[in-house]
Amino acid sequence: MNLERLKPHLPWITLALLVVIVSLIDPNFLNPASMLSLAADIVPLFIMALGITFAIYIGGIDLSAQSMANMVTVVATVLLTSMGAWVAVFCVLLGGLFGAFSGFVTTRFYVPSFISTLAVGGVAFSVAQWLSGQRSVSMNAAERDALFGWMISKTAGVPHELMIAAVLLLVCWFIERRTVVGRNLKAIGAGELAAVASGISVARYKTIAFALSGALAALAGLLFAVKLSGGAPSVANGFLLPAIVAVLVGGTPLTGGVGGVVNTMIGTLIVAVIRASMLYLEINATQQQMFFGLILIAAIALTIDRAKLKIVK
Amino acid sequence: MTRENLLKWAPVLVLIALVLFFSAINPNFLSLRNFARLSIAASPALMVAVGVTFIIVMGSIDLSMEGAVSALAVIFCYMLVWLGGSVAGLGLLAVPATLLLGLGVGAINGLIHVRLRIPSFMSSLAMGFVGTGAAVLMTGGNIVKIDDEVFRALLTYRMLGFPLMAYVALGFLLLAWVIQSYTRLGRNFYAVGGGEDLAHASGVNVKRVRVLGFALAGFFFAVAGLLQVAKLGQAESVTGSNLMFISITSVVVGGVALWGGIGGVWNALVGVLIVSVINNGMIVIGIPDFIQDGLLGVLVIIAVILSTDRRSVAFVK
Repeated sequence: MNLERLKPHLPWITLALLVVIVSLIDPNFLNPASMLSLAADIVPLFIMALGITFAIYIGGIDLSAQSMANMVTVVATVLLTSMGAWVAVFCVLLGGLFGAFSGFVTTRFYVPSFISTLAVGGVAFSVAQWLSGQRSVSMNAAERDALFGWMISKTAGVPHELMIAAVLLLVCWFIERRTVVGRNLKAIGAGELAAVASGISVARYKTIAFALSGALAALAGLLFAVKLSGGAPSVANGFLLPAIVAVLVGGTPLTGGVGGVVNTMIGTLIVAVIRASMLYLEINATQQQMFFGLILIAAIALTIDRAKLKIVK
Repeated sequence: MTRENLLKWAPVLVLIALVLFFSAINPNFLSLRNFARLSIAASPALMVAVGVTFIIVMGSIDLSMEGAVSALAVIFCYMLVWLGGSVAGLGLLAVPATLLLGLGVGAINGLIHVRLRIPSFMSSLAMGFVGTGAAVLMTGGNIVKIDDEVFRALLTYRMLGFPLMAYVALGFLLLAWVIQSYTRLGRNFYAVGGGEDLAHASGVNVKRVRVLGFALAGFFFAVAGLLQVAKLGQAESVTGSNLMFISITSVVVGGVALWGGIGGVWNALVGVLIVSVINNGMIVIGIPDFIQDGLLGVLVIIAVILSTDRRSVAFVK
């Protein structure tokens, strides 16, 4: 068994090992109720990571996801009263539109995706500050409960967030594995020049990937806003790093083409377990950044496909 | 006027147009007092932008500045306090120590990027998070205050109306210009940025040049950290925040091509001035400041679009 054959299995082996180690240190960890709440807490992050998966799958990156989620927490909160349940549709469309714009700028004008998404993130941040008046805003509790309360309630002890996550995972998995879009995204990630040569409209499918990423980041923001019952222009800060880490430790390399949304689920669970153990060891959120930064470097170094990078810039 | 010439001078023209625009709306914009205020805001950003210019000229990018500046500023404050609290005495040692540390941090950045063969935008972004985390770890989330009159003179002492830190920043800009134009290392940055395989083929040790470039960037981030401390009188884990967006925007808007090989530290200066004039001008004429990030985002995209020669780019990630 050599390393190359082991590689696709590394993510879930890592996850299993981590769970065993953490439960040895902290026996309470395996308690089903606490595990469920642990998983439910990570759902907004998971949704964002699902979106970023599409951007990374084609060999790009989406650095605007966090700003997008920030913006949506504000938009959803401000428009909840006037738009009712339609605000959810509006937010997802808005996210998709911003994402599509990143994709358009990247493909039409040859602006690298990390710059175009950074710039679009700046625009989203401005919108959030403008709509919120630069402070945190809160939802009308009665309206929230009536329209979106179901998102955060439970059935038979299972938080509904987990079902939302499962449905989204299924949808994304379907897009990735069973549609023309998914096939073409894989072709682009595996080799963009070959994809162009075989007649795929690369620009269109890349734009779709960024639109999906934006829409999912918006959904993450929406769920986060419902959980917090409000929003602020920087409330989701701190999501971007663990979301990217989740995608990469799950086994979707920065060079794209392999991995996918199921890998991201495993990656997100790895992040969740690491976080839980850090909480147990009383390491606070910002210090975790340091650790996740190092994990990010290790994950990229392990997964990246160097055959695709003639020159590493 | 050829396209090349137009592109070369476009940033300067934009800067002049902006200055004329803001002073037409509010004549106070053109006052010495306002320019002094502008220079205080621009000095640390200029140092970060100059540092990252070297990297972008090589065709790479360094996104670690926020964490690096925070961590270095915090370390400087602790060293200064430990060494007696004043740069008039033993505390002066804290300045070169911080600059050396900046070199070291940058070199680590470069080594991770080169040795592990990770694209620089990701390796440096991750290192930036590590830096912010380290700053939190050191301060425990608190603020480290500095009340050394001599060090704060960088902000309080004025020459010809401008604070001392503006001259310090200008001095380091000249140093960067000398490195860029009159040293072998500076030439090598352009060689690597212009075409890495060619540079390699003609005997340039590309890996070494890359590591040295990142080390140099770290050095300038350290200078930025010192100026931030002088400006704010304190250091904490958010001392460097927002510098990433501002500096990358400045460098790109100033006319340094993301593809490498084109532009230099003077472009960084023009870019920082454009961004600072926009920030400052919007406040002076009374436009809410939250529009800035959005406007800068749009400007960046336009700048990259204009500076890209699309015939020579096969595809872009």
